[in-house]
Amino acid sequence: MNPAHLDYDTLADLAEGLLDDDRAASVDEHLAACAECRDRSAELADVSRILAAAPVPALPPDLTARIDSALAAESRAEPPGVTDLNRRRARRNPWRALSAAAAAIVVLGGGGLVGRAVLDGADDGKHLTASVPPQPMTDPRHPRVQSFGAGWRVVHSGTAYRAATLDRQVTGQLSRVAAAAAIPDARTSDCVAGVAQGRAPALVDVATYDGRPATIIAVRGADGRPDVWVVGPGCSSRNPDVLAHSG
Amino acid sequence: MGAMSVTALDEVPDKELLARHAEGEPHAFAELVRRHRDRMWAVAVRTLGDPEEAADALQDACLSAFRAAGRFRGDAAVTTWLHRIVVNACLDRIRRRSVRPATPMGDDATFDAVAPKLPDPTDAHGVSLDVQEALATLPFEQRAALVLVDMMGYSVDDAAAILEVPPGTIKSRCARGRARLLPLLHHHRNRRDPRNVGGVEGGGVPT
Repeated sequence: MNPAHLDYDTLADLAEGLLDDDRAASVDEHLAACAECRDRSAELADVSRILAAAPVPALPPDLTARIDSALAAESRAEPPGVTDLNRRRARRNPWRALSAAAAAIVVLGGGGLVGRAVLDGADDGKHLTASVPPQPMTDPRHPRVQSFGAGWRVVHSGTAYRAATLDRQVTGQLSRVAAAAAIPDARTSDCVAGVAQGRAPALVDVATYDGRPATIIAVRGADGRPDVWVVGPGCSSRNPDVLAHSG
Repeated sequence: MGAMSVTALDEVPDKELLARHAEGEPHAFAELVRRHRDRMWAVAVRTLGDPEEAADALQDACLSAFRAAGRFRGDAAVTTWLHRIVVNACLDRIRRRSVRPATPMGDDATFDAVAPKLPDPTDAHGVSLDVQEALATLPFEQRAALVLVDMMGYSVDDAAAILEVPPGTIKSRCARGRARLLPLLHHHRNRRDPRNVGGVEGGGVPT
């Protein structure tokens, strides 16, 4: 009844259901009559069992650190295909979000309404007040940041500011910690210097105002209320291109 | 801020982490790697056999995934995508190895270093080495399929998605691979009496 024993390939194919019906039937018939081939079939099942039970060498402890630093180096490099300057900067430098938060706290230190707005809007101030000292205005890994000397950051919040709701929207933005804040470029620095007259802005948001591209600049005013300027894209220290001013 | 968003990342699903990374969120990708690196490592070290090469392949894979995140299509699971990148990084390593000149032999120290240790079938380390050596004899496609299905426990469909071949191809590669491995791993069965298991795990045995 055993003209030839079944080979491992055939038995493995049978186990995976890869044999056609006729072939499978004849193999089953053979197995029913042949203890040796049943044994081979069991051996095959054991291959999977042995593979599953083989221990994995542990992840080398230094590999995690190695990969983390390779990724950190990669994130500082210019990522290809990303054209948005701020996105590039934010990716290159995760410290900037922290610096932006710190900048907000520095403003807060002077008191006044803007300061309170920052506090009130952020979970009773728990996260903002406790953990971050107001010093790290510069990036410890990128000394060139210091040359900007501004200590404030630009956000692109995507807010569509409206004349009717400007103050409320600015207060809302001030209460938020910007996720991706960027160092201002030279033109924005120049513009803000002209508008804010040397005071550190609490908010510089490149967004829209009544549907037009505009930059919203908020400075803590002498009476504690925020001074808010809305300037057009052409803003410079010589010609601020102020679209609106409140405060 | 910093600490707050890191805590929150724990809860973020894989796909959103990848999207946030593509948008420039600095910690999102690290979280993704932290979450899956053990399984990615297991795939790499089992596919390549050599821990040092596996470490290089895993690093290659992480960097590739970091750069390619923007091209991830949401129709697959992120783990599927990550595993595919790991398998491809392993294949790249193997290709590079095959064009590299072999280590010159002939000095005793080198010979001792590469000589197989005496296998002890009761020792887990020995089993691991044997399995690794046996796997190394397989063509890459069969090895990758067996690593995913038999060793990592993925379904045939999941393995098919990772390797981008039809499920029937995975089944066939697994079947061929098991048939080839059997003579090499035979001695690891000797803890059981083969006569007792003949009809139990035979699969297709009619009663």
